[in-house]
Amino acid sequence: MNLTVNGNNVTLEVDPQMPLLWVLRDSMNLTGTKFGCGVAACGACTVHKDGQPVRSCVTPVSSVAGANINTIESLGTSEKPHPLQLAWIAEQVPQCGYCQSGMLMAAAALLARKPKPTDADIDEAMTNLCRCGTYQRVRAAIHRAAGAQA
Amino acid sequence: MKRRNLILSGLGLTGALVVGWGFMPPRSRMGQPDNMLLTEGDVALNGWIKIAKDGSVVMAMHRSDMGQGIHNALAMLVAEELDVPLKSIRLEQAGHDAIYGNVAMFVGTLPFHPLKSEGTDKPLMVKTGEWMVSKVARELGVNATGGSSSVKDAWENLRMAAATAKASLLLSAADQWKLPVKELRVTDGLVTHASGKSANYGELAKGAAAQTPANVVLKDRKDWRVIGQATPRADVPAKTNGTAVFGMDIRLPNMLFASIVQVPQMGGSLSSIEVQDAMAMPGVVKCVQLSSAAGSAPGYAVIAKSTWHAQQAAQKVKAQWVQRKEGAIDTKRIESELQDKLKTESGFTFYELGDVAKAEAGAARVIQAQYKAPYLAHATMEPMNCTAQFKDGQLEIWAPTQVPGLARAAAAKVADLSKDKVKLNVTLLGGGFGRRLEVDVVVQATQLAMAANGAPVQLVWSREQDMTHDYYRPMHVAQLSAAVNGQGQVESLQIKSAGDAISPRWMSRVLPALSGPIDAPDKTTAEGLFDLPYGFAHQRMAHVSTKMGVPIGFWRSVGHSHNAFFSESFIDELAFESKQDPLAFRLALLKNAPRYAAVLKLATEKAKWGSALPAGHAHGVALHESFGSIVAQVAEVSMQGGMPRVHRVVCAIDCGTVVNPGTVAQQVESSVIFALTAALYGQIDIQEGVVQQNNFTNYPLVSMAQSPVVETWIVPSNSAPEGVGEPAVPPLAPAVANAMYKLTGKRLRSLPLVA
Repeated sequence: MNLTVNGNNVTLEVDPQMPLLWVLRDSMNLTGTKFGCGVAACGACTVHKDGQPVRSCVTPVSSVAGANINTIESLGTSEKPHPLQLAWIAEQVPQCGYCQSGMLMAAAALLARKPKPTDADIDEAMTNLCRCGTYQRVRAAIHRAAGAQA
Repeated sequence: MKRRNLILSGLGLTGALVVGWGFMPPRSRMGQPDNMLLTEGDVALNGWIKIAKDGSVVMAMHRSDMGQGIHNALAMLVAEELDVPLKSIRLEQAGHDAIYGNVAMFVGTLPFHPLKSEGTDKPLMVKTGEWMVSKVARELGVNATGGSSSVKDAWENLRMAAATAKASLLLSAADQWKLPVKELRVTDGLVTHASGKSANYGELAKGAAAQTPANVVLKDRKDWRVIGQATPRADVPAKTNGTAVFGMDIRLPNMLFASIVQVPQMGGSLSSIEVQDAMAMPGVVKCVQLSSAAGSAPGYAVIAKSTWHAQQAAQKVKAQWVQRKEGAIDTKRIESELQDKLKTESGFTFYELGDVAKAEAGAARVIQAQYKAPYLAHATMEPMNCTAQFKDGQLEIWAPTQVPGLARAAAAKVADLSKDKVKLNVTLLGGGFGRRLEVDVVVQATQLAMAANGAPVQLVWSREQDMTHDYYRPMHVAQLSAAVNGQGQVESLQIKSAGDAISPRWMSRVLPALSGPIDAPDKTTAEGLFDLPYGFAHQRMAHVSTKMGVPIGFWRSVGHSHNAFFSESFIDELAFESKQDPLAFRLALLKNAPRYAAVLKLATEKAKWGSALPAGHAHGVALHESFGSIVAQVAEVSMQGGMPRVHRVVCAIDCGTVVNPGTVAQQVESSVIFALTAALYGQIDIQEGVVQQNNFTNYPLVSMAQSPVVETWIVPSNSAPEGVGEPAVPPLAPAVANAMYKLTGKRLRSLPLVA
């Protein structure tokens, strides 16, 4: 199967039913995308499919053949971090950090769609779960990044 | 049991059973250079500090970071006393020597009333108890991250290790330059003299190793440049780009992946499995039956070429399970048994003052209420997992654990190896909250590694396995009563609660050598009930300890997590029954507890207690001490569709000296959300032995849209540091429930709060 992950074309021998999450983590060693629930309830596994946020734990890999998949590993580079990554550092968002890859990918998709989101937009788009309770800082960081992008 | 036995009960936990009382004095927690890993070019100056050639510092990191920012806070202590920039400190996992054990956590298990044990002027019994438990704990050297104790525990010895290292480096420069040491200055790891001589720590390290500085003193707090400053966490960048390595992110050559199914009926066993169908699935390598060890549940695992293949095949194993012989566990039945025990058993009295029976007998009226709290799961975002490899007689483990030494010991036992053949690497923890004080997944991964012909195996539990095979916060039921005299004043407070004691069960799983045949009274059952600051003339607090068969464990803030709901809701009831404002009622009872009163005043002032709120909104307040820190919270709540909506929580905390105010605010915010999830939704039900909640769909967490704004106000303090990771959990539920009473007129005495 041919996949485009973070701009790279890769050919993998995988079961078409295998969720994208496990292809990324176990077949490609892209471990930034996390397993949290397996039922699309927590969002820790959020990646972009053609720019749209999808929960990779319930996305069969066959359904993304031909699409552009982007994971946290391609959100920014150390030379050119994504504005959200800078905002995440400025607001000191992560605690344990486990959910933050998914949070960032969901937030990046939101900003791409809505560069100046309201609190209501954030409530609606950011349904990812965080057990450390970083929500208030996630919100502040999204607003900060939105301001920086203007 | 009499009061004089109480001190022994506290000691019992850490093991008054320990033989060979050849104790290590406090100063020897500095350790020796050979406690640290020997690394090319680095010079170790003691058991905590190595100096690299370029002058950078390598510090032994003995505590696990599960989000609380402890790696940063402890590095800040070293940066302060060594006078180096925080960014020049690298962390190296500490070894297993006793110097890395946690003494403060065990001292925290002593059942002393905080008003009688705070400060330096302590009664003899308190001093004796603390001294003895400290000695036992130092000897035990149990390395654990828990009990909100890491900074408290490191406060003296880690700073002293860094200060002594700095003194050695200065003596080295003085010797080399033939100059008096007092003329030398240090700035950012560079030693200089007015003559123009200068050297970095790397150039002085070899000479420093030969020095034995005497009379080292710690910096005066007025000279601190690092401690007390809101300092960005060094772990944050890696947590924004996917490079942070949690347990589940370990990748090794030729690694295999495993999925597990454990006995669904709590306490039950596996009678047989048929694996033919599973073995026929693609990518499957092996099916392994797992026996129970260190408290783990029995079951089986499938090893395969990916986690998904293992999960798919695990579904195809046909297993026969057997209920436990005592009969199936059922939470409804446990609840009624606890209620019965409150009536029939007197329990262990943790605190007694005056004569409660007489006060109640002579009262104009007695106010009574019964409260209860359910079982709760930890639900860390990173499900339980562990990676292990057994090759050439050596077992290597990668684990997100709060107890590396205990995990290593348990793995060695199950693998039948000596401990020196077992290496345990601690990864980052995707949440802990007490769940990772257990070693069940480590002994399971060990069993798999032993069966994998040298290949590394990563065992990852599904969320369903994680939620249905937790060590749950135990259910508790409490009966509270208060005597009101003819003038309407509350004269007494009596509390009796019933539920399982965690510490003896945990000891039997992970520290079996110290687990006795009889349970000593466990402070964690009664904390938050027996240790209240309110000046009622007559008080009695007792706990009836039960054994209901549910695996129970330490859940963030432990006994305080439910006991504060019982006590602070009931105090609120008494305020309304006395027709007094809840704030004024509390303050009147805190005349002899000025620290508590100050925290309560700060929170209520910042929240503008008593001022007008939007229509349909109300304030509720609660005050609670735990892990040495006092926290007051004011919750602003409205009702939306029968459910409380918490808009804002104003929190004041007195946690002694603050190392990093940034992480204190983070922990307060985290605790509020963690506690709000429990207050609104948290409940584990067990029917026919099977846990009914199995994922976030039926064990929901508070999300962004339900999150309140959390404000943190820190009380300035020069006392020694106290706990931060947990103390803001307990007051949240009663603060919300007390606000809900104002809105609905209905007093909720059961968690979760369903109006």
